[in-house]
Amino acid sequence: MSFLPDMRKWGAAEIVLALSILILVVVVAVPVALIFITAFFVDGAFNLADVTAILTQRDTYEALKNSIIIAFGVTVISTIIGVFFAWLVSRTDLPFKGTMKVLFLLPFMLPSFIGALAWKMLLSPRSGYINKMLMGLFDLQDPVFDIYGYWGIILVESMYLFPFVFIQVCGALERMDPTLEESARIAGAGLTTITRKITIPLIMPSILAGALLIALYSLAHFGVPAILGTEAGIYNIPTKIYEKIHQSAGSFKAIRAGTVLASLLVVSAAIILYVQSLVLKSGRFQIIAGKSVRPVALKLRGFKIPLLIFSAVYLLVTVILPTVTIFLVGSLKTYGLSLDWANMTLENYEYILFTWRLTRDAIFNSVYLALSAAFVTMLAGVMISYVIVKMKPRGKWLLEFLGVLPFSLPGTVIALGVILTWSGRFGVNLYNTAWIIFVAYIARYMAFSLKSNSAALEQVHDSLVEASRACGATQWQAMRHVVIPLARPGMVAAFFLIFLPALRELTTSVLLYGPTTRTIGVAIYTLNEDGETVYAAALASIALVIIVLGQIGIKKLTQARAEGV
Amino acid sequence: MNKGLTAVPCALLLCLFLGLALPAQAEVKGKLVIYTSMKESLIGKLRDAFAKKYPGVVVDPYSAGAGKIMAKIAAERESGGSVADLLWTSEIPDFYQLKDQGFLEKYVSPEAASIVSPVKDPDGYFTPARLGTLGLAYNTKLVKDPPKTWQDLFDPRFKNAFGIANPALSGTAFVSVSLLVNTFGWDYFVHLKANGAKMGQGSGQVVDDTASGDLKACIGVDYITSEKMGKGATLGLFFPQEMLVIPSPVAIIKGTKNLEAAKLFVDFLLSREGQTLIASSGTLPIRTDVELPAGSGLVPPKEAVERAMQLDYQKTIVEKEATIAKFTEIMRGK
Repeated sequence: MSFLPDMRKWGAAEIVLALSILILVVVVAVPVALIFITAFFVDGAFNLADVTAILTQRDTYEALKNSIIIAFGVTVISTIIGVFFAWLVSRTDLPFKGTMKVLFLLPFMLPSFIGALAWKMLLSPRSGYINKMLMGLFDLQDPVFDIYGYWGIILVESMYLFPFVFIQVCGALERMDPTLEESARIAGAGLTTITRKITIPLIMPSILAGALLIALYSLAHFGVPAILGTEAGIYNIPTKIYEKIHQSAGSFKAIRAGTVLASLLVVSAAIILYVQSLVLKSGRFQIIAGKSVRPVALKLRGFKIPLLIFSAVYLLVTVILPTVTIFLVGSLKTYGLSLDWANMTLENYEYILFTWRLTRDAIFNSVYLALSAAFVTMLAGVMISYVIVKMKPRGKWLLEFLGVLPFSLPGTVIALGVILTWSGRFGVNLYNTAWIIFVAYIARYMAFSLKSNSAALEQVHDSLVEASRACGATQWQAMRHVVIPLARPGMVAAFFLIFLPALRELTTSVLLYGPTTRTIGVAIYTLNEDGETVYAAALASIALVIIVLGQIGIKKLTQARAEGV
Repeated sequence: MNKGLTAVPCALLLCLFLGLALPAQAEVKGKLVIYTSMKESLIGKLRDAFAKKYPGVVVDPYSAGAGKIMAKIAAERESGGSVADLLWTSEIPDFYQLKDQGFLEKYVSPEAASIVSPVKDPDGYFTPARLGTLGLAYNTKLVKDPPKTWQDLFDPRFKNAFGIANPALSGTAFVSVSLLVNTFGWDYFVHLKANGAKMGQGSGQVVDDTASGDLKACIGVDYITSEKMGKGATLGLFFPQEMLVIPSPVAIIKGTKNLEAAKLFVDFLLSREGQTLIASSGTLPIRTDVELPAGSGLVPPKEAVERAMQLDYQKTIVEKEATIAKFTEIMRGK
């Protein structure tokens, strides 16, 4: 670092701090600030009239209304599903509880837009396989289900989002001190009273935390409403922004309208997060105590087998059925043929894997972008967490705030922000290149990296570093041989926490892709839009295979580590 | 706090800046990037044949709907450049507009003399390279009595089961809507909507939805429909008397680094060889001296041009946004 002249005044600590702030400002703060500036300022002057004009347009407030209706429906339904199954696997004597608990996390692996694609094939009014079957069986004239509409969107999203609540509530139920319920029982309270007065209040914060996470996610979700809503004229805010930007030849006017809509999303997200913080503050009971007694499992008696069957059927219908549909349709010679062996071929898979430039590019781009974004974000996360946790400089709150800010920002907003920042305004033009997606991913996933790395670094006690220093190790040696090995689980976790979602990302990249820079998500979506349904399905199958392999890889890695230690 | 701690940020800095500094894709000499709304089934064949003929030139076609392509071009121009060397879509108004903005390179191919088309640019900034024809595509399993006229679609047997692609996404859909409005008036779409007609998404999706049975019929692009028929889809395609004939112009982008290669490609596209490939993909060639494949059901180019609905393409540029807005309003019933 000899090129810095005042090296002595500017110690390494200051440089690291400055660099951390610089990274977060460039990657996070500038894009977000530009969204608000673009939305509210015209030619340098504050302009509310334009904003009002955009907000009072019919399609704008309808998009907001739809976003809210969908988010509300999804939150309510997935919370009910999540709480019910969590209760079932942790507080009853359901057979195969442990296995079921793992299986209920499977819906997480299926990206919801692929789910939507599958359900479109199963339940679209005239051609959906289930509709056709039912119409044939009962000799009906009209289709039974119509997936295009609010209910379709809400149910499909709920199917794949409920694990957010499920995980939270399972955790709370398991950590809960069973003596609280025991004492109530001894005092003579019945099961209903115990549930109402003890159990539910205790797990309420977890339920709400999961529910608000779902609300936040659904409010800004692109894939499912894009596939199941636009056909019926239902747009939510992300799909409206996408339409505006893609259909007006990328003009600044459209981007500006997009930023106003994006500001609405940011405000809604802020409200949700505020409510969440209130809830978490008010509802903090000390529910974790020594695990002396295991909670008494409720005896399901006669309901045992029916409930097990119900759970199995639920998983079959929401996970297995769509997956099988995607694989089968991906093997069809052309869409619309019946699912007979005679109509099946492996050529689609061969074509998109080895021949077609578009899909090959997409697979390469997604894997490459996910790997590099995960790697860089992990490294940056280590450094920034180190600053926050170990150096504790003044003003570290700024770093913390900037780091978790993107977590509350919908992917659509981040995409618009990077368009405004990186298309030449500051001398760097990344538009239409893969780098703009790369920058967006770093912003989007920085919060994951910080969370995971901070947690790991907090566990490394300062005394360890001091001890090694006392033994004569340099700062670098202490870092390399003490801190990093101990923090490595956090780094590995951060890497995968970013890699897997980035691999299947759609909401952000759909606004940023250029002709050569489609991601897997974008390619599946555009192939579907272009009527290449079988290729969309074949590519989705390949995406599922990659995701499953990735999950298995993580499991292997983390297991090997656990055994190694 | 000294040297040790700076290593991590330095490595990071290096990562970030190396990353940012690398160009998106190094420009290879003799490479042609073509932005086109033609589907892979058509452009792929042409690319392969051209590659065989001129091994030195690498052709890199990117297909997307015309609306999206224009959005990308606009974004690229904003940032001072163009990735594409050639543009080949079906949205003629775009070409007039780009020509007026000085975005196109003038080139009159020696092959241009032998083409027939309802639209020609007298100044030679773009040349039609294919006659896209759109007909009524129908699912043969569901429709035993195929529609013969445009008005047949008001019939109850197509209730809630006829689709048109979204003109904001697809160039052919936009020009089709303009042609139909010019010929039959907006009333035509009001009647269609009264019978439950739907607006789909891309021009390929309505055909796929018809093949699957979600729709019974749609306005289908010739080669998209016949490609799916070739794979076994139960589809039929009928051309009513008043035909939708949409020339797809090709143009060279001004400032291309490979002007000679670009000219070669345009010549190839318009040549008998190129047009034979186009005809074999199930779409209409722009030359009369190319034989149509047997059993293709296509209307010969000369006859198609005579039966074609007429349109003042220059005028549609100004009306484009209003046309799309009005169409969307009628079809969404708002």
